[in-house]
Amino acid sequence: MFDAKSENDALENLHQMGCTDGLPVVVPTPERVSRMVLATGLDPDLNLGIMGPMHGVATVEKVAVAAVMAGCTPDHAPIVVASVRAVCRPEFDLTEMQSTTHCTAPLVIVTGAARYSCGGVASGFGALGPGHRANASIGRALRLAMLNIGGARPGTSDMSLHGHPGKFTYCIAEDEENSPFPGLHTSFGYEADQSAVIITGAEAPHSTMFSGDADDPASIDYLLNVISMVMANPGSNNVHLRDGSFSIILNPDHAEIIKRAGLSREDTQSELTKRATISVGTLRKVGSKFSVQDDQDDHELVQVLKDPSKIILFQAGGSGLYTMVMPSWCAGPHKNAVVHAEIELDQACEIPAMTLQ
Amino acid sequence: MRDSILTARLGIPAVALVTEAFWSQGDFVANSTGMPDIPRVKLPHPIAGSGEDNMSKVAKGVAPKIIQFLANENGIN
Repeated sequence: MFDAKSENDALENLHQMGCTDGLPVVVPTPERVSRMVLATGLDPDLNLGIMGPMHGVATVEKVAVAAVMAGCTPDHAPIVVASVRAVCRPEFDLTEMQSTTHCTAPLVIVTGAARYSCGGVASGFGALGPGHRANASIGRALRLAMLNIGGARPGTSDMSLHGHPGKFTYCIAEDEENSPFPGLHTSFGYEADQSAVIITGAEAPHSTMFSGDADDPASIDYLLNVISMVMANPGSNNVHLRDGSFSIILNPDHAEIIKRAGLSREDTQSELTKRATISVGTLRKVGSKFSVQDDQDDHELVQVLKDPSKIILFQAGGSGLYTMVMPSWCAGPHKNAVVHAEIELDQACEIPAMTLQ
Repeated sequence: MRDSILTARLGIPAVALVTEAFWSQGDFVANSTGMPDIPRVKLPHPIAGSGEDNMSKVAKGVAPKIIQFLANENGIN
């Protein structure tokens, strides 16, 4: 807590204290933070989890500070709270993930009715890019919490060699209504009418081009092949360390090809798991020290992952040629497991005439 | 760093080997885990992949310090 003569002075103080992501933030005045806390419907001292590597206690109030700074509206609060709860689960390996030299950032996937009731989280054209306030603010709030509560500062505690643009914000909604699959959250045990965040540690999106042909029944094979080849990119951690997660965002056209072929989400996950292979010879060509035994033949194919459920497969984005594949960090005691938390909409309070001023 | 901290907490003498580029992160981890005095020895950076000759040379240079810490001379516990 500090006093400042003006909003501008307060902002400069925050920059100098290293509390921002480098961009201007909304100054978290006590009144703004109180309103954000009220919007969560939770006690300000409630502990949502411990955030490493600094082991800061993520109270509702501290998370509300991050949400205000990120430019969130009160409508966004339930998703921010759920996101913090999710990344604090031990199996996410937050401490190690924040400290690694790898480029990984939590990708927040918003599912269920909260996509609409929490400020309109975008799932269409450019949803991972600029111009979508909810996506930008929610992902940024999580990052500011990881920075200021978790203490991950570049070069001293966050040792990512190059960083990652998704470390500013990385949030997208599922396009469930146009998807051939049930809501992604139902794959994690939620009822269809619930809402949840699914969070994966993800690299930047790797563009995967395929131009389908409705008259060519082989389109489904081509599509599955190209996606699985990108998954088996010999430069990614997933190939060398194996059995980590993938996030795959199908564009509507590619999802339609899968629908026409009659494949369910589980069928598609299984097919991709079978096809995402790399030869021992290729691994030897790139000098892999982690995963090749001396007695293995160059022609032997090794699977990049064994568990199909580690492929987080959903539809989002605009219509066209490109699907996005995000490999993961694939390390940490729990391999930076995919985590999730319910977005509790019934906890939220409506704040009369609430605007952030 | 974390391995050495966990090992030390088990009561087993431990020394963290930390390269120059990660020295400040080592301080951060030591402080944030409540063990600011956990013994650590500085190595040049990079050390991984720098070749057997170089690594042997570095190892010879730092071995006495590591032994000193493990013998709990100027170490903690």
